Amino acid sequence: MSNLSFVGKSRKRKDGPDKVTGKAVYSQDVKLPGTLTGRILRSPHAHARILRIDTSRAKALPGVKCVITVDDTKGIKHGFVETPRYPPDQEVFARDKVVHIGQEIAAVAAINDMVAAEAVGLIEVEYEILPALFRPLASMKPGAVEIQPTHPKVDEPYTNIAGKTETEWGDVEQGFAEAHLVRTDRFESHLRTHGYLEPHVTLAHWENDKLNVWTSSMGTFVKRSKLAKVLDLPFSSVRIHKTYTGGTFGGKIDLYTHEYAASRLSMLTNRPVRIVASREEIFSAYRHGQPLTVELKTGVDRNGVLVAQQIKIINNAGAHRGSGVVVIFLCWGFTMAPYRIPNFKYEGYSVYTNYTTRAPQRGHGCPQVRFAIESQMDMIAEELGIDPVTIRMNNARDPEEDLPNSDNVHQAGLKDCLRLAAEKTDFLRNYGQTRKAADLAGSKRRGWGIGLSSYFTGSLIYPNGSGVMVKMNDDGSAVVLTGALDVGQGAETVISQIVAEELSLEMEDIKLVTSDTDTTPQDIGAWISGMTYVTGNASREAAGNAREKLLEVAAEQMNTPKSDLRLQDKMVISISNPDNRLSYRQVIAASVATHRGDTIIGEGFWRTMRDEPMHPSLATTKGRWSENYAFSVQVAEVEVDIETGEARLIKALTVHDCGFPVNPGLVKGQVDGQVSMALGHAFMEEVVTRNGSTLNTNWLDYRMPTIHNMAISEDADVITEQYKVGQPYRTKEVGEGLVSAILAAMANAVYDATGVRLHSTPFTPAKILSGLQKLEQKKAG
Amino acid sequence: MILYDFEHERPGSLQDVAARLAELGPTAGILAGGTDLLPNMRLKIRTPATLVSLGAIAAQPPGTDTDGWLRIDALTRLSEIENSDTVRAACPMFARSAHVVGSNQIRQAGTLGGNLCQEIRCLYLNQEHDFQFVAPCYKRGGDCCYPYPKNEKDFCASVFMSDIAPALIALGSDIELVGANASRRMAVEDFYTGVGMTPTVLRADELVGAVMVPPPPPNSGWGYHKSTIRGGLEFAMVVVAARVALGEDGETCADARIVIGAVSEGPSRARGAESALVGAAPTPEAIAAAASAAVAECRFLPHHNFSVEYLKQNAEVYLRRILSEAFGRAKTGPGKGGQDQ
Repeated sequence: MSNLSFVGKSRKRKDGPDKVTGKAVYSQDVKLPGTLTGRILRSPHAHARILRIDTSRAKALPGVKCVITVDDTKGIKHGFVETPRYPPDQEVFARDKVVHIGQEIAAVAAINDMVAAEAVGLIEVEYEILPALFRPLASMKPGAVEIQPTHPKVDEPYTNIAGKTETEWGDVEQGFAEAHLVRTDRFESHLRTHGYLEPHVTLAHWENDKLNVWTSSMGTFVKRSKLAKVLDLPFSSVRIHKTYTGGTFGGKIDLYTHEYAASRLSMLTNRPVRIVASREEIFSAYRHGQPLTVELKTGVDRNGVLVAQQIKIINNAGAHRGSGVVVIFLCWGFTMAPYRIPNFKYEGYSVYTNYTTRAPQRGHGCPQVRFAIESQMDMIAEELGIDPVTIRMNNARDPEEDLPNSDNVHQAGLKDCLRLAAEKTDFLRNYGQTRKAADLAGSKRRGWGIGLSSYFTGSLIYPNGSGVMVKMNDDGSAVVLTGALDVGQGAETVISQIVAEELSLEMEDIKLVTSDTDTTPQDIGAWISGMTYVTGNASREAAGNAREKLLEVAAEQMNTPKSDLRLQDKMVISISNPDNRLSYRQVIAASVATHRGDTIIGEGFWRTMRDEPMHPSLATTKGRWSENYAFSVQVAEVEVDIETGEARLIKALTVHDCGFPVNPGLVKGQVDGQVSMALGHAFMEEVVTRNGSTLNTNWLDYRMPTIHNMAISEDADVITEQYKVGQPYRTKEVGEGLVSAILAAMANAVYDATGVRLHSTPFTPAKILSGLQKLEQKKAG
Repeated sequence: MILYDFEHERPGSLQDVAARLAELGPTAGILAGGTDLLPNMRLKIRTPATLVSLGAIAAQPPGTDTDGWLRIDALTRLSEIENSDTVRAACPMFARSAHVVGSNQIRQAGTLGGNLCQEIRCLYLNQEHDFQFVAPCYKRGGDCCYPYPKNEKDFCASVFMSDIAPALIALGSDIELVGANASRRMAVEDFYTGVGMTPTVLRADELVGAVMVPPPPPNSGWGYHKSTIRGGLEFAMVVVAARVALGEDGETCADARIVIGAVSEGPSRARGAESALVGAAPTPEAIAAAASAAVAECRFLPHHNFSVEYLKQNAEVYLRRILSEAFGRAKTGPGKGGQDQ
């Protein structure tokens, strides 16, 4: 690893200068002459039949160019999941009934914002209001009002079941019977949102039978496929251009109606149409994360070793399938990956309610599940008189273990993470001290908590693989064509580092053309935690392919075998006779002269689990899920004011096995960002709703942490993968798994500080204070 | 974006402003820093047909009136108040209360007058009303109350959230209202009605001219706390402010002013708790009893997802803490130990 110059180094961000100087182009920055403003009419009701829509007054308003409803669409459905079991289930506009507040009913294009707003107000819709359901337990009850039909393959007598995941191995009943201790606990999570700073923006321009689109996304190829499909256009007629994206965290993957509406309105008016979602719309009508109920029954032996575990997840899935049927699959994975569970039974239900459709949100179920499991693990440890580190060590997976789905954890560094985290925080010396101490002065109490987690590194979902092209220029510099999208995570930087390494080029010699569906190869996108692994290795292959071509031509020109050649400073140099050398410029000229004009273009492709035909079954979990599993252990130090219940994260330690870190600085950025997001999750953020309406529709009342709330965030890695040039980069996920263990660690730390066990998020002052008062009453009575 | 047409005027003097307000009546909106008015116009909580800007009028610097009272022009930016040596020396609690407002950007734009005249807040009200809560509530001239469907018309159970008003009331400050023909002066306390529909007594043809803060009594001290979830860029969960004075013996409480803000339609004085403290030694028990009494006598509304039960618990703890601080400062001498951190 010592001879690496670019990968493994904290190289400066490729996109940094443009972003800090304001030159970076986001979708809102793209200006086209004659652009119309699009605006969407949304449902004021959570559940209602649409009896009549009259757009005539809106159409007659001067300045209005077009009004569309579901009748102007081809009725083609789309969905976050599109499989035979879960076929597309959403239309772009409501047809016959609305199922959540804010659902799209119509869209207008007008000459300016004011006219557009007035036009939306002139559309008349007559509704017949239906009973609405917001709690999944009420919604799944037999005989409840039907929001959407229950999935035909769910044979239990429940209503409103969007989907179910179930799997088991061993014999849980026998396991529980043999267990020394069995605990059953229930944990609830709350509604949070992604908090991307850039709102959804789409500019669409239909020109010469081609639809050009600039939109906030997490992967332009996914957007293209879904948009082309609902518009019934060939992919070649839809071009999603590259723009930077100002934060996503899961909230910009799927097709959104404003993207369809801007496109369709442009096609009908022959004018560019822009739609910008207001922050209020995003909070009240767009997609948020998924509140889960986790029922967890766990049996252990005397040493706290898991004997059996039964878990039931109920997802408040909103009004369409969305990613609700994915999260109930993923929760199984987040449960089975870190600990060995000999007997296991899992059921996950995704239940329709009259909330907005759900999206993935960083961690996609993992924080909710790890919060439950890691909290219960501490409860079990305490009952057994075992410390929190030992009980985890007794259950954590070893390297090279096979997982129940026939994945392998390879060089899993979980136990290394545990050891290092405990050591670096002096965990066992700190843990339990506050609760043991008598008569502490003041009202502030410190507590320490630990949690662990595992996250997958990419799986198979459309478009399944990434391609990269490296074009050598005559002067020896290179242009990289990649579909990868830099959503802030640093994709452009990492890809440049890899190409620089493979071709011995400086970062400045490399220019990228990215995420344009017409000019770059297809890419998996920035949303399944696999981009560095998949696109990174496609980049390595492409640069390697170009390098091999350079070497081949150079070997011919220099009359020495390829094995005698090395690359340095855009030169090919003979190892045996360093005076024998050619510049890249000379080699490329020779290639054009002697290889039928070949200017040297390298191609590379990568796909995770290349021998697997497709993704695992969402319903049964069968099939391989991922090639690489990342592991992490996190420790939280919190401070609680026992008089007010106010709590804050003081310090976080993240110890992770993220494989080979291509850019340690970017890894650190991910760690800090996730700690910040998790402390918002724990103590601050909640989308407050009433009857399906959102009450806090702005940044003021949805309290994301500010820089002043950020805790000290330290990290350490346990690098268990060896890296060699020419081998695949065994990078692992590091961009979303780290929001999970730290959440559980914070809950465990609140317990450590106060004795208050939290069964639900967020950890509000009111909840902590009420817990403290109950403890007082217990002590007194 | 403000999606309706309105006029904008920029008179050159306060008198001209007052004259225009008299002519325009309730259709006018007074634009100073704009941090409260403009978002509310975007949300159509307020839809003035004419904005009368104070942008052409310069604020008078903080100064002392002949009666010894500190005078702060209503057009003074909050950032100037928090950073003013004069204000910090004469009434540190005032500076402190300006410092905890919003964020630096907000304080650079927002003015004292604007902060004191800010609109009440309610999660249902502070929305775009595009597709949810579309029917206007009482406050917006309509016929319903979303959080309290059984409320009578003209009853808006919302929360007045100025961070500064409780501090000024605790300090015994006055406010000057400027009209076209006459000015009037009253205690800041009397400026607030405690009625959500019309939180202040300001008439449509008036604007706030200045705030006057009296010199502190001898042996006095202050305490102030704004409870929030994230500590900044946030309206308060609870604001508590207190100013106390000790008698000549330095042991007995001679005066106490206790104010709770951000939990109901206006800031509330806890007069019962104040009088229980006066004449007694401010022991921890007496302070705890006063905190408890203050919470009991003030009106609390659930707001911004906080329950009344928790708001009261939070207010009581911080009242106890700020009263201890206030008496501690009173013992070290007037105005001492009170600079902003």
